[in-house]
Amino acid sequence: MRSTRNVVTAENDGNPGHFSDPPLLVLASLASGPKHGHAMIEDIVNICGTRLGPGTLYGAIARLEQQGWIEPLAPEERRRPYRITADGLRVLRAKLTTLQQFTKAGWKRLEAL
Amino acid sequence: MSPRLARLLTRLYPRLWQERYGDEFEALLLDGRGGPGTLANVICSALCEHLTPTQGGDMNRDPNSFSAILKHPSAFLPLAMSVAALAVIGVAATYSIFHYGHGLVREPDEGTAAHLWQLLMAGQLPVLAFFAIKWLPRAPRPTLCVLVLQAGGVLAAMAPVYFLHL
Repeated sequence: MRSTRNVVTAENDGNPGHFSDPPLLVLASLASGPKHGHAMIEDIVNICGTRLGPGTLYGAIARLEQQGWIEPLAPEERRRPYRITADGLRVLRAKLTTLQQFTKAGWKRLEAL
Repeated sequence: MSPRLARLLTRLYPRLWQERYGDEFEALLLDGRGGPGTLANVICSALCEHLTPTQGGDMNRDPNSFSAILKHPSAFLPLAMSVAALAVIGVAATYSIFHYGHGLVREPDEGTAAHLWQLLMAGQLPVLAFFAIKWLPRAPRPTLCVLVLQAGGVLAAMAPVYFLHL
């Protein structure tokens, strides 16, 4: 999977809480229904405040499509919506479960301080 | 973002990527604001796409193309063995010139170099046969091209032996 170093635009810089795992963000966005690129970007901003750059978004889309976790739908004019596949949903659940465990453990440690 | 800039940025990507995602990506750029952050993001992503191209989706290269077939071990191994056989003759000739003051000559005792050359030439025959049997029915034309290349390699490796009467 592509590096996630340059995953957000400059406006997210300086925000220590921003989350930047483009493939996971795309999967989470598509979990609420098919979307095209621009709709995904806006939805991801609403989910976690991270605004993915267009290059980053399509890097993630191309690789998720390659892995069979999302699939393209018929284009609407020049915009092509994508939807999450059954495999993609399974991967999203697994990743979110891991994140949940990680978050729980992290909070426990913070509370113990 | 202006349509001209959007088109220009999309053209930074590899051709196959443009064929698959170009239209929708350009539409996305037209919808966006196109500040310096976006420019940097697209340029970096295009560069990444050149360095580590996305495979899969509709961008898969034809697995039966000449370049794809040539990447199979049974295609490039015979070529490598021919080059190695040629190199053996080259090394043996250079050694002979420096130590005996003359090039390679035919001798009753063939020596290590000759045995190595024979092994390399004979060893590639089963690989060549395997390659032809496996790939000719699947993709006759590119396979024939690879076979011609392999035959060229064999001839190149045999040429010094023939012309120098070794």
